[in-house]
Amino acid sequence: MSTAAETVAVSAGRAQRTVTVAVAGNPNCGKSTLINGIAGTRLQVGNWPGVTVEKKEAQFSHGGRNIRLVDLPGTYSLSPYTQEEVVARDYLVHERPDVIINVVDATNLERNLYLTIQLLELEIPVVIALNIHDEAERKGYRIDRAALEELLGVKVVPTVATRGEGLSALMEAALAAVGTGRPREVSYGEDIETAARAVLARLQEQHPDLAARYPARWLAFKLMEGDSRVLEETGIAADETLWGDALDHLHQAHDEDLESLMADARYGAAAGLAREVVHKPQVRRQELSEKIDRIALHRFLGIPLFFAAMWLVFKLAFDISTPFVDWIDGVTAGPLSRWTEALLGTLGAPDWVVSLVTEGIIGGVGFVLVFVPVIFAMMFFITFLEASGYMARAAFVMDRAMHTMGLHGKSFIPLLIGFGCNVPAIYATRTLENPRDRVLTSLLIPLMSCGARLPVYVLFAAVFFAESAGTVLWSLYVLGIVLAVVMGIVFKRTLFRGEAPLFIMELPPYRLPTLKSLMIHTWEKGKHFLIKAGTYILAVSVVVWFLLNLPWGVQDRQESLLGRAGQTLAPLFEPLGFGRWEAGSALITGLIAKEIVIGTMGEIYVGAMDEPEDPPPSIGEDLREIGSSFLDAVQAAGANVVSTFGIASMSAEEEESPSGLKQAVAQAFTPLSAYAFMAFVLLYAPCVITAIAMRQELSTWKWVGVAFGYQFALAWTVAFVIYQGGRLLGFA
Amino acid sequence: MGLTDLVWLVLIAGGTGYLLYRSLWKSKGQCAGCSVKGCGKRPGG
Repeated sequence: MSTAAETVAVSAGRAQRTVTVAVAGNPNCGKSTLINGIAGTRLQVGNWPGVTVEKKEAQFSHGGRNIRLVDLPGTYSLSPYTQEEVVARDYLVHERPDVIINVVDATNLERNLYLTIQLLELEIPVVIALNIHDEAERKGYRIDRAALEELLGVKVVPTVATRGEGLSALMEAALAAVGTGRPREVSYGEDIETAARAVLARLQEQHPDLAARYPARWLAFKLMEGDSRVLEETGIAADETLWGDALDHLHQAHDEDLESLMADARYGAAAGLAREVVHKPQVRRQELSEKIDRIALHRFLGIPLFFAAMWLVFKLAFDISTPFVDWIDGVTAGPLSRWTEALLGTLGAPDWVVSLVTEGIIGGVGFVLVFVPVIFAMMFFITFLEASGYMARAAFVMDRAMHTMGLHGKSFIPLLIGFGCNVPAIYATRTLENPRDRVLTSLLIPLMSCGARLPVYVLFAAVFFAESAGTVLWSLYVLGIVLAVVMGIVFKRTLFRGEAPLFIMELPPYRLPTLKSLMIHTWEKGKHFLIKAGTYILAVSVVVWFLLNLPWGVQDRQESLLGRAGQTLAPLFEPLGFGRWEAGSALITGLIAKEIVIGTMGEIYVGAMDEPEDPPPSIGEDLREIGSSFLDAVQAAGANVVSTFGIASMSAEEEESPSGLKQAVAQAFTPLSAYAFMAFVLLYAPCVITAIAMRQELSTWKWVGVAFGYQFALAWTVAFVIYQGGRLLGFA
Repeated sequence: MGLTDLVWLVLIAGGTGYLLYRSLWKSKGQCAGCSVKGCGKRPGG
C-alpha cells in the first residue's frame, strides 16, 4: 500500500472511529441545557446500571466525525462519597473517554475549578465550556480566558447554553483536543508533589500493572488520601509499605489527615487560579436570587408560599388543558369509535370483538388518554418550578419543617418525585443512607398523588366543582402532603425511632428556563404515561372487559365477575357515601393502575348506555369536526390562561353536552361523596407496579403489606370523616 | 363459539398476556418507556 493510500486509510479510519466525549460539571452549571443544545432530540435518557442516577447519552455526527456524547452526573468533586461522584469517577477512570468537556459556571468559577483540577489529574484531554458567561458579564466580572488557558493548558470556550451560543465552537475544540495528550499538571505544593513522586515511583516498581491501568499521578494521590474505593479495587491494603517513609514528612509537617490536606491543596489551587483570572467589581449588589430567597426561604412565609405556588400550578394546568380534554373525549367517543367499528365490521369481526375494542379498549384506554393534556400540563409547570430553581427552595423549607418533627429533609426529594410517578420516587430512596429512612420514605411515597390519579380528580372535579376545579385538585395534593407528614411523625415515633441526620443541599441561583429545555424535560416525564397507556393500561382494559362480560353472555354487568366483586365490597363503602358496586369494581381495578379507575367506570357506565339513533356523519364531516373543535379548544385554552386569575375555567354551561361518563357520574355521586371518593382514591393503596418497585427496593413483601394495610385504613378513615362530617355540617 | 371467535380470542388473549408479562414480570416494575430496563438492582442487595 502506498504512503498516500495509507494516509487516506488512516484518515478514513479516524473519520469512522467514534469519538467519545464525556461531559462533566457541577450541578446547576447549565450542563443539561448545554447537552440538550448539542444533542437535542438525539439524547437517550436512562439510568447508570445499579443506581438511580440518570444517564444521558447521544450519538450524532459533527464535522464528519461520529460522536458519542455521555453526560456524567453533576458533581462537585470526584470523591467516593455519593453515588453521583462514584458513577462519574468510575466512568472516567475505567472507560477513558477521548475528551472531557468540563462545563464551568462563569459566575462561580472558583467553586467549579475544584472539579476541573481533579479532572486534569485523570490524564484525559479536557476542554472547558465557560458557561453562563453572559450573566458573569452582567455582574461586571471580567474573566481572562487566555490566562486561564495558559495556566491550565486547556482550551476554554465561552458558551451561553440557554441561547445555544458557542456550542459549535465547543465541539470543534473538543474534537481538536482528542489525542493531544495529558493536560498540564496543577501543582499542589512541593510537600505533596514530592510525596506523590515517591509513591508513584514505588507503585511503578511494585505494581507496574496498576500503574499502567490507572492514570498514574491520580492513582498516587488516591492512595495517599486512603481512598477506600481505590484501595478495594486495586487490592492494596491501607497499611501497605508501598509508601513507607514517602509520606512521613507530610504526616509530621501537617496536623490534618492527608485527605483533608489534599482537599485544601486543591481548594487553594482553585482559589489561586480564580484570583488570577477573574476580576470582579468592587461594589457587590445584592443578587436577585438572594432578594427572592429572603421571601422564598422565610421562616414563616416559605411553606405557605410553596403551597400557593402549587395552587397556581394546578390552576394553570387545569385551565389550559381542560379544553383539550374535552376535544380528545369527543374524538375518542365519536369518530374514533365509529371508524373502529366500521373497520372491524369490514374485517368481519364478531360482535363481541367489536364490543371489546370499542367499549373495552377505546372505552378503557381512551378515557385515560383523554387526560393526557392535563398530565403534560402538570409536568410542564412542575418542570418549570424545578428548572427555575424554586423546587430546591421548596425542599429546603420542607426540610426545616420536617426536621423539627424528627423527619429527614432529604426524604422530601423522593416525595416530590412521587408527584409525577411513585415508581421512580421509590427508586430515588436509594439516595438516603439510612435503611430505616429508606423504608419510611417508601411507605409515605404512595400518599403523594401521582399523575395516574389525575384523571379521577379531573373528571370528578369537572362534574361537581367546575367553578373551582383547580382549587379542588390542589386541596387533594395538599391533603396527601399533610397526611404524609402526619404518618411520618407517627411512624418515626413508633416503628422508626432514631435521629434525623443533617441535610445539606445547594440552592442554585434562579434561572429562567428556555422553552426548548422545558419541552424536552416535559416530554421525558410525560411520555411514560403515554407508553404505559399503550401497553399496560391497554392490557388491563382488555382484562377488565372480560371481567365485566363473564360469565359469557351476562346481560347485567352487575352480575358479571367484576360486578359481583364490587357488590361484595359495596357495604364497606356505604358509610363513605359511595356504596355502589360500580365504585367498588372501579376501586378493585384501581389496585392494578390508578388510571384504570376511570377506564373501568367508562366501561361500566358508558358501555351500558344506549347509542343515539342519528345517522353517523361521513368521514369528511368527522375530520372537519375534529379540526374545528381543535381550534375551538386552542381558543378556549388561551381564554382560560388570560382569565386564570379572575374568572374560573371550565363550567358546565360552556359545554354543548357533558359526555356519557360525566352524566353517569353526576347521577351516581353527590359533591360530598365525590370528594370523599377522590380522597379515598388518593390514599387507599399503592398500585401493583409501585408495590413491585417497593418489593424490589426493600427486598421484602413485608413493608408492601404494611403499606396496603395502613393506607386502606387511613383512606377509609379520612373518607369517612369527610363524608359523615360533611353531612353533619349540612353539605350534600 | 365458532372457529372465527376462537382465533380472535387466542390473538387477543395472547397479545394481552404478552403485554402484562412485559410490564409486570419481565420488567419488574420499571417505568414504562425506560430504555435502561429500570433502575437496576440496588447495590448490596
